[in-house]
Amino acid sequence: MAIFLLPSFALIVVFYLLPVLLTLLISFTDMDYSFQWNWVGLKNYVQMISDPIAGKVFNNTLLYVFSTLALFNVGAALVISLITVHIPERVGQGYRALWLLPRITPSTVYALLWLWAVRQDPTALFNWILGFFGMEPVNWLHKHPWPIVILVNGFVGASFGMIIFTAALKSIPADYLRAARVDGASTLQIIRHIELPLIKWPLMFVTAYQTLSLLTSYEYILLVTNGGPGYYTTEVWALYSYHLAFAQYGGIVKFGYGAALATVLVILGLILSIAYWRVFRLKELMVEPKIEV
Amino acid sequence: MRRRGASKPVTILVSLVIGVLIGAVIGYALSPRAPVTTTVTAPSGDLEKLKAENEQLKAKVEELTKKLASAGEGEITIKVWTIGPDPPSEYRLKNFQIAADMLNKWLAALGSKVRVKIDGQFFVRPVEWGEYKNKFYLAYKSGKAPDIYLTGHEDVGFLAANGYIIPLDDYIKEYWDVVYYDVIPTLWEAVKYQGKIWAVPQDTEARPMYFRKDVLKKLGWSDEEIAQLPEKVKRGEFTLKDLLEVAKEAVDKGLVERGILHRVKEGYDYFQFYLAYGGRLWDAQSGKMVFTKSAWKKTLQWFHDAVWKYKVISPTQFSGDWDKDFHGPFTQGKALFLSGGTWHKGEWVSKGLLTNEEFNENVGYMLHPAGEPGKEPVTLSHPLIYTITKQAQERGVADVAFLLITLVTDPHLNANHAVQSSHLAILYSEISDSRYKKEPFLADVAYMLDYTTFIPNHPKWGDYSRIVFNILRGVESGDLTPDQAFNELLNGIKGLGSDAVIIED
Repeated sequence: MAIFLLPSFALIVVFYLLPVLLTLLISFTDMDYSFQWNWVGLKNYVQMISDPIAGKVFNNTLLYVFSTLALFNVGAALVISLITVHIPERVGQGYRALWLLPRITPSTVYALLWLWAVRQDPTALFNWILGFFGMEPVNWLHKHPWPIVILVNGFVGASFGMIIFTAALKSIPADYLRAARVDGASTLQIIRHIELPLIKWPLMFVTAYQTLSLLTSYEYILLVTNGGPGYYTTEVWALYSYHLAFAQYGGIVKFGYGAALATVLVILGLILSIAYWRVFRLKELMVEPKIEV
Repeated sequence: MRRRGASKPVTILVSLVIGVLIGAVIGYALSPRAPVTTTVTAPSGDLEKLKAENEQLKAKVEELTKKLASAGEGEITIKVWTIGPDPPSEYRLKNFQIAADMLNKWLAALGSKVRVKIDGQFFVRPVEWGEYKNKFYLAYKSGKAPDIYLTGHEDVGFLAANGYIIPLDDYIKEYWDVVYYDVIPTLWEAVKYQGKIWAVPQDTEARPMYFRKDVLKKLGWSDEEIAQLPEKVKRGEFTLKDLLEVAKEAVDKGLVERGILHRVKEGYDYFQFYLAYGGRLWDAQSGKMVFTKSAWKKTLQWFHDAVWKYKVISPTQFSGDWDKDFHGPFTQGKALFLSGGTWHKGEWVSKGLLTNEEFNENVGYMLHPAGEPGKEPVTLSHPLIYTITKQAQERGVADVAFLLITLVTDPHLNANHAVQSSHLAILYSEISDSRYKKEPFLADVAYMLDYTTFIPNHPKWGDYSRIVFNILRGVESGDLTPDQAFNELLNGIKGLGSDAVIIED
């Protein structure tokens, strides 16, 4: 029977393992557009330790990942799911559909919409709202780059958790909720004592999955601030790796150093995966149920 | 083009065109000059010699015509990649199409059925230089490189050292008397690497500091004072500090919204301020880049003061938009100074932001002022170049590619480009082209080349430039104080290694 696993195994090797291996190998070279495999040992990793920008970028990455995760990818996703399952189904469905719009909008269009919304003109959406309160227009990207970056990513990221949590909430047997109501439980008590404990596994899975996803994502930051507006203000690890490897003005690239940075990201992802596996005891999620339901 | 059929038609074609060009030169030499009023008798020996050469040439053309007829049909496709990224620089490609048309007409007239076709690309914004170069390297690695590749002169060393392009010395020698003798000599220095010539200059430019005459008038400057400003800058009597003060006065009086504008993206323009403070970029003797500490300290302080003390540069300039934060405010008279390039004039006119008349009436231009008294005013040039790739040689079309480059390195064709895009002449004879002469702006800024510096042809130049750009972005946004910025900059530059950069006081 194992033979049936071969196609998927081959795909995993070609598209997952080989790129990691190649990235690792390139990280031991000083490869540029000459595409020469000049082996330099651990030079790129030593350089990373003494790179004054790497520290700042690392801190930015932590801020970006955990803020977006807490506020949107898990936080907002959970709140939206809880609200929409407790209101009439049609309204709830419509509201959830709205949250899917950022996910299905092409990245560049979505980023452009944000750039228009936060630009300095008094007619831009954010400043137009401020205008109602008699406040002066603000250059949002310059004054508050991080909240904007988190909002831009969060509005896209929330929908994933929202779908998973909603499905989990809907799968809770109605008897539990009815029994709680009969016992006089309020909605908040139902959420706290019944629903949240019962969606523990999806919550932990989404947290783990979205952490890893955010760790490697950079496309919206690239499109909205490109790591700016100041001195690496919103540059995250994956974006720094991309900038060094592919996006220099003069066309001089550092595949070797960029690959070393990417390798660190892979290692960090592995460590976090193991940590989540252990801390959240995700193994228990995977075991066969003890009884047939 | 067909790989196998290439060599025969190519050889014939090249020989034919050499013949035609030599014939044209000899014909020109023999033809009588219209305004000549006195009769000059050539020494009989020379005349006989020329006649004999002419006969030889005729015989050669006849022979080639016969060969061409027997060569059959064939289409030689030459792939050309060029970039603006400003749209008015389209003649970087268009000239090849004009040259190929001309060549095809010659071939048709001679009865040949061989034709040259240009498969060209002209990249404009949003494609910037970095992306354009990425495309080239990736295309090269996948065996789809262009035959002719336009790039910045600073890439010569890297492209040559890694076998992407071929040396052109022999070709240039062959066509020297046809056109290359006329190339402004300093430009050859920009295309040399390890004693060989690897490219043909395509254009050059200066980077002026533009100013609005109408705003200066409102500030109370007389016409004479305004006209004298470029001269004062030349003499070092108007410095970067004066620039800040005049800009501040204009902003404080509400005459403009912004005092000084500079480009909104990464580029090389910022190095002019460093040069104006006496900084050096290149040490010709050692072949290394240079970091002059005192000049960088002053440069960073100047940028900091411009944003935070004088408030004449916006702290968001680096995250701005080309139209809204650069071209727009200046052409609408909402900004006093603009650190730009000669090509911007071409861009403003072609985009309809300014007419030639409005430009002449309201816009002046000068060198970037000296950093302080006793220092020199500056500008920076970044000649673009045509290279021939090794893949063109492997496909057997390098000869035709060079022939086309020779045809576009024509004073009149290059003047098409220079006039439309406001770039400067690369040939002495181009300066007297009738269209070039009608463009007073180009003649007016020509003196700036006496004050110019080329960016270094060093493989780590891109790193140097990137570090500087990010630091300046930090200074303007307020993330870094001048002292912090200097320390970060110094650390970054030290990271490039002492084999790449000389750090001097």
